[in-house]
Amino acid sequence: MTRLVRGRRRLLLVTAAIMTAAAIFLPLWGMTLVSTQYPDGLRMVVYPDHIRGDITEINMLNHYIGMTPISDGLFLELRLLPIGFAIVAAACVAAAFVRRLWAVVLPLALMAALAGYGLWSMTSRLYQFGHDLDPRAAIHIAPFTPPMLGMNQIAQFASYAYFSWGTFLPLVAGALVTLVLMSDVRGAGPRTGSKT
Amino acid sequence: MSRVAGLTVALAVAGLAGCGGIKPVPPGQHAMATADVRNAALATYIKPGDLDTYYLFYSGGHSGQVYVAGVPSMRHIATIPVFAPYPGTGYGYDEESRRMLGGFTWGDVHHPALSKTDGDYDGRWLFVNDNANNRIARIDLRDFKTRQILGPIPNTMGNHGSSMVTNNTEYVLVATRFSVPWASEYAPLEEYATKFHGAVTGIRIDPKDGTMSVGWQIMTPPFDWDLGATGKGASDGWAFWTSYNSERATGKLEQTASRKDRDYIAVVNWKAAEQAMRAGKTAPVVGVPMIDPAKVPGVMYLLPCGKSPHGVDVDPSGDYVICSGKLQPTSTVFSFARIRDAIARREFSGNEDGIPVIRYESALMLEVPVGLGPLHTQFDGKGYAYTSLYVESAIAKWKLPPYAPGVDPKSLVVDKIPVQFNVGHLVVAGGDTRHPQGTYLVAMNKMSRGRHLNVGPSIPESSQLIDITGEKMTMIYEAYTDPEPHFAQLVRREVLKPIEFYPKEESRDPNAVWQPKDAKVTRNAATHTVEGKVYAIRSFYEPSRIQVQEGDTVILHITNAEQERDEIHGFGITAFDRNVVVDPGETKTVKLVARKSGVYPYYCTNFCSALHQEMQGYLEVVPAGRMMALYTGNQGEMHAAPPRDLAVQEETQ
Repeated sequence: MTRLVRGRRRLLLVTAAIMTAAAIFLPLWGMTLVSTQYPDGLRMVVYPDHIRGDITEINMLNHYIGMTPISDGLFLELRLLPIGFAIVAAACVAAAFVRRLWAVVLPLALMAALAGYGLWSMTSRLYQFGHDLDPRAAIHIAPFTPPMLGMNQIAQFASYAYFSWGTFLPLVAGALVTLVLMSDVRGAGPRTGSKT
Repeated sequence: MSRVAGLTVALAVAGLAGCGGIKPVPPGQHAMATADVRNAALATYIKPGDLDTYYLFYSGGHSGQVYVAGVPSMRHIATIPVFAPYPGTGYGYDEESRRMLGGFTWGDVHHPALSKTDGDYDGRWLFVNDNANNRIARIDLRDFKTRQILGPIPNTMGNHGSSMVTNNTEYVLVATRFSVPWASEYAPLEEYATKFHGAVTGIRIDPKDGTMSVGWQIMTPPFDWDLGATGKGASDGWAFWTSYNSERATGKLEQTASRKDRDYIAVVNWKAAEQAMRAGKTAPVVGVPMIDPAKVPGVMYLLPCGKSPHGVDVDPSGDYVICSGKLQPTSTVFSFARIRDAIARREFSGNEDGIPVIRYESALMLEVPVGLGPLHTQFDGKGYAYTSLYVESAIAKWKLPPYAPGVDPKSLVVDKIPVQFNVGHLVVAGGDTRHPQGTYLVAMNKMSRGRHLNVGPSIPESSQLIDITGEKMTMIYEAYTDPEPHFAQLVRREVLKPIEFYPKEESRDPNAVWQPKDAKVTRNAATHTVEGKVYAIRSFYEPSRIQVQEGDTVILHITNAEQERDEIHGFGITAFDRNVVVDPGETKTVKLVARKSGVYPYYCTNFCSALHQEMQGYLEVVPAGRMMALYTGNQGEMHAAPPRDLAVQEETQ
């Protein structure tokens, strides 16, 4: 655990940090609902710290089936995720300076934890929204889980769910950090060291 | 326009028939070949979901409304209520539109005019006149709603000679149809020639928001003013109106006002009128700065024109003024340059009440024998004019100047097409702008009998769509409308940018409510007035219960809190003759007096959602003298909880 992270690999770490930090301002995930009445579609776009799109209209429609109205305040995740991203970015930068293997493993572990948390939280949220329906609602439908990825038909709406740059960039950042780690494990020594 | 069936006979006897050598088409017969019919069908077919190329705004005459159709499909797509109530949009039932209507229940809409920038339509406003009650209205094309009704305009009796928009919408110019003694004074008809007056008016338009106000008026001799046009290009700053009854006659005008061979066009320098007003060369009459053209030279001239003219029009270049005498088979082309020269050289043939009459021959370019009963002229921007022929039931296409010296005027009429049947106005796409499109022409015909299924004695008016892209005109479609179209505006769809809903951020109504919790009803016991802020959204009202005391005045402000297109809510209340329709993001106020105790349901009148029928509430009118526990404070709080909790309350009740 004393190997040094050298040369361009430090640049990779900084790049990973920038990518992760940038993700704070980019959409993570979105869903577009299309039906005959809404030919232009209704959009919900989730950012790390807020939700955007035709939320009022989506809530309006969801209230018929008794779904909890979507609002930023409902999600603890929207407060945690930006902090999580910021910590990961900071850890990447730190690794570039500390230049120890353990310092590279740390951001990777944080990333994995954040990704795991994100995935778990999304899965449970989607399940919760589709299942925790008010029994007093005007329209009763069978509980369902909205799709996390891909297309799904719920009542008259086709829902298209997709991941976006806020997810992709940290993934690429994770890959970069992994690359740094792998190359250090495999190829440490004068071959790369000579370039500094 | 009067329906003078006898006119045809009279003119035929006078030997004026036979212009253009066009064979008349027997009523009800299509003269088109099968291939032409197929081509026409293809040219006008807009498949479901596709959009038309043009908006057609046509006046609804004494229905008081403006109709909107798409062209080329000719499908009627909207009715814009202007001078008459229209339950379909709740117009005339809420406080604002009731105030605008000013106690009148009808108007006579004749000539819609789109606002212009540099002489071309800019898609901001549509102005329409009321021939009956001396008013003018502005429709905002952002939301297709009537936003202002100005009038009755003082010193005006029958606002027919309008609406004429100047090149940059500085003014909408209007002229009184009837002459009367002013300031509600009385003079017997025997003194018509001297005690009666006409007037033309400049209605000033606020360039920012389109607000109309009376700018100035010019006193005219007691003629009957008919229709007008504004100058453009070289004639920008000038306006023209036709008149009938230059005889100053009363009685049976059909005879008494048809004696002279020529009537007059008023040639008005409206920029000079504006200057005269600014220079204080006016005397107020009923509060309006009035210009006496005999005392302020340079403001108004008269120009003789063919007998009993109806339409006067200025070509796209602004160089030619065309006037058609409906009792003479000619359209007269005047050159504006010659008019100006004649004025400069004082080539006058006399005067009327001190207003110089320009020598006819000095201003004249040519009399073109277009056909019988010429009325209105529009232009295609390709050097041709199109004149409607009322008596002949046809449209003539003829060539505009420049003309070769000694040209045979008959040779200028290059095409003629029969219409079914008596055509009044006609409109070409952009036909009164500096850049007409020369694509479509719509003929607005009276007396369409025999052309459609019999719907009883009151038959529809016909509007016929004519393709004018080719050398020959081609009739391609026929549509029918409610009474009674006069003029129209045909404008490319991309010129207009209507909104889809009223954004919440733009709401300025202090009584708007955007959350169920803000809805409330309060009662002022001293004034016996109940005021409520009602929140409306799919599929409920908040509150769904309003208690008032018998005899109370009830004022309800209803906000449609939707921010989605086409989520319109109505508020109809049984037994009170009130129905307002509130567009998404809009707040409307309805006022009623709860005269009789009882329980009166209110409900959404505009189909809004699957639970539309459930969108209802009750107005409880408690008998006088009975205690009302709910009077204190905010009634809305009772029901201010979110909808699901509201449902629980109702279940347990």
